[in-house]
Amino acid sequence: MERERVIVDERRAGAALPACLFAWLVPGAGHLYLGRIGKGLVFLGAIGALFVLGVAMDAGLQMHLGFDDPLAFLRSLAQMALGVPYFLARALGFEAGKVTSVTYEYGNTFTEVGGLLNILVILDAYDVAVGRKP
Amino acid sequence: MSSHLLTLLVFASLVSVVFATLLREDRRPRFRFFLMSLGAFVLSAVVVGWLMYRFPS
Repeated sequence: MERERVIVDERRAGAALPACLFAWLVPGAGHLYLGRIGKGLVFLGAIGALFVLGVAMDAGLQMHLGFDDPLAFLRSLAQMALGVPYFLARALGFEAGKVTSVTYEYGNTFTEVGGLLNILVILDAYDVAVGRKP
Repeated sequence: MSSHLLTLLVFASLVSVVFATLLREDRRPRFRFFLMSLGAFVLSAVVVGWLMYRFPS
């Protein structure tokens, strides 16, 4: 019995790293990897919608690394937490956004909050992987 | 999306869905949490918006 529990714990600990990595790369993928299909699809749909709507509202996706503008740096970190969709959108030419657009700041808020929520989702995937949550 | 209210509702709904899914495991409590969170988002935005309207400067 004790040996079984140890094996299960080791398997869970081994799943934590890939689960977190997948969760960062694609919102919800960590939960899908762990077999939590419903939760994974909800996260993929909701956070994916926040990002797509944000980009559609002309959000800026500039990568600002460095402390000369701390707020822009934090904003970039939040957006980078979205993983592949963020880098894909930049590669497809949505990097600059449109500063003069009425919805520019709305778009920024949507994409930044989507990234921040994905950080919570990554932590939740970790908790599920190590058995702290069902 | 040109309507501020519609933008607010969409944003509040999507964020509330994620919060409810993260923080509640069963379907009924999750739905209740979603409604509470959505209501809190919308109500607080309307209250803050009203305050800003009353005190524009």
